[in-house]
Amino acid sequence: MASDPQEPDKKNSWVQMANYAQLAVIFPAATVVGWLIGVALDRWLHTTWLYIVGLLLGIVAGFVELIRTAMKNSS
Amino acid sequence: MPEQLLFTRLLNHWFAGPTTAMLQALHIQPQYREAPITNAVAMEVLVVALLLVVFIMVRSRLSVESPGGLQHMFEGVNGFIEGQSRDVIGHHSERFTPFLVALGLFILIANLFGVVPGLESPTGSPVVPLGCAICAFVYYQVQGFKTSGVGYLKHFLGPMWWLSPLMLPLEIISHLARLMSLTIRLYANMFAGDMVTLVFFSLIPIAVPVIFLGLHIGVALLQAYIFVLLTTVYLAGAVATEH
Repeated sequence: MASDPQEPDKKNSWVQMANYAQLAVIFPAATVVGWLIGVALDRWLHTTWLYIVGLLLGIVAGFVELIRTAMKNSS
Repeated sequence: MPEQLLFTRLLNHWFAGPTTAMLQALHIQPQYREAPITNAVAMEVLVVALLLVVFIMVRSRLSVESPGGLQHMFEGVNGFIEGQSRDVIGHHSERFTPFLVALGLFILIANLFGVVPGLESPTGSPVVPLGCAICAFVYYQVQGFKTSGVGYLKHFLGPMWWLSPLMLPLEIISHLARLMSLTIRLYANMFAGDMVTLVFFSLIPIAVPVIFLGLHIGVALLQAYIFVLLTTVYLAGAVATEH
């Protein structure tokens, strides 16, 4: 197969597009997952505050993933 | 009882008894005992059956001298996914190609079922994208452990040891969030595509819905591609080894 010099860039831009498509969902998804884990732990351990910890960790995890993906794509 | 497609009705007619018995043996109570198989499950069965028949046909007619149209098409699909995973993962990515091709074709055919009269997209129901996402999630975690052994757990501990108590829950949430984001993106896009087509069919049943059917086909192709591409990106992260 003849190699096109622009092909890696083109493929790379598809990977970037997929990563950016992920950015829109990853932050709310991480927040909901953190909250769900907190709620599950609250039910399991009969506590009433772990859902807040889960929610906060979810928000932080969302930001970390957001920044990580953005930095990976911009570098 | 919800409306059943013809194929769902057939499956329920033949297999309702054994399916209900199997579910009850697993302590799951089906909502409708006489119709435990839902449209989404029936469509999944149809997609798998269709793919199996096509793969058997291609396998039986494989030829180096005079490859047929189907062989050309599947070689193209396989080559495309293989080339892409080589670009994203690097060398030794060939072992992931069978899984990625199977996943991509399953999602693509499932998405395209929505434009065939009498069928519906199983991916328009949240359980099917969730199942695909769980497959992708389990696969890349297993490949991570296969590549790095117990050392794979270092991926969850962050770059500095003193940060690891904080990084571990964050990484676990991040990985589970990927599962959720894969599910929601595919489900929401296919559900919205189905709804838009349905609404325009009921408003203006002539000509106009064709535009939205075209849009639905475009979304079906793009979403299948994004799902496979993101799975490849996650795989690349899981099998990456630090030098």
